[in-house]
Amino acid sequence: MPRRLIDRCQPDSIREFRASAGQRYYDGLALAGAGNRTAAVYLWGYAAEMTLKAAYFELFGLAEDDELTVPGHIQPAINRGRAAPLNIAWPHQGAGHNVRAWAELLVGVRALDPGTAYGPAFAVAVQRCGQRIGQLWKETLRYHKNRAYLYEVRQVREATEWLLINSADL
Amino acid sequence: MPRKRRGFEDPPRHTVGKLVAQLAEELKSDRPSGQPFIEEEEFPTKKLRVNVLWDEWDRVPLEERTATILRAYEEAEGREYRDRIALASGLTVPEAHAAGMLPYQVLAAVRKDDPVTREQCHRALVEEGASILFGEDNPQLRFSTNEEAEAARQRLAQRLPNSEPVWVITKEVGTVEDWLER
Repeated sequence: MPRRLIDRCQPDSIREFRASAGQRYYDGLALAGAGNRTAAVYLWGYAAEMTLKAAYFELFGLAEDDELTVPGHIQPAINRGRAAPLNIAWPHQGAGHNVRAWAELLVGVRALDPGTAYGPAFAVAVQRCGQRIGQLWKETLRYHKNRAYLYEVRQVREATEWLLINSADL
Repeated sequence: MPRKRRGFEDPPRHTVGKLVAQLAEELKSDRPSGQPFIEEEEFPTKKLRVNVLWDEWDRVPLEERTATILRAYEEAEGREYRDRIALASGLTVPEAHAAGMLPYQVLAAVRKDDPVTREQCHRALVEEGASILFGEDNPQLRFSTNEEAEAARQRLAQRLPNSEPVWVITKEVGTVEDWLER
């Protein structure tokens, strides 16, 4: 008997995040093309979130297939972002999904080491993508019936695309 | 077939001109109190993390806040200094409070027979940098550390004669969630 979908899923890891980020991006494109704007935005937000998390944990030194857990990795990363010297505004609600804060964490942590710091323009671009998506996307979108405006769809798509295109340099 | 090419550099981001000028002026003047609260953290790499807490950000998109901060630094300190800023964020006081960044508050505990009125205290709080975004009649003066709150308390006592006994400092202990996550 074939294993069920959930049972076939691999543990969360950098590799899984990167692979599924690409898939969710294309799923979003298909939805947007069919006029399902909010559903498209909803998936792109996750694609951005996974791309940023994968970049952070790679920088952190994890291997591509190391298992990522909330208590072992996600929560310590959030705590690191909230603390000095980064002092990132990271509200508790939906903390693990806060794309803006993950982008700022990545930029901030890279700046701590001269060997990893982004150039000024690239740093601003990463932060900007996080800010833009953060203002238009939340994981709780799924509970709501509102329809995204066309310009909102465009903004989230462009920011997500930028992160995906540049994921090797993040 | 049309072939569109887009480079890495985006067009310059929109900044809020009035706020750029105001913030640049604040950076040069280095006032001891009042908004905006400008927090700079220097990393060992000499890169800077800048947080600007300012109610003027209300209704300004996050991207424009960052662009405005960077532009103001460039005007006040020059391009080289601006390029040292790795991360610049603009938050209103309620936003920073909601994120748990401002747990200390200076309050006016005014009683009937005190020599100062509630209204006088509210005016002094606003002059000191209190946010009125929590409500016009509910100015909140908040800080990230007890030392900053204590310094503000002392300035308030000087700013408003005979008010020394009314100023108190409170600290929010956070939610149960905060404690569980520690």
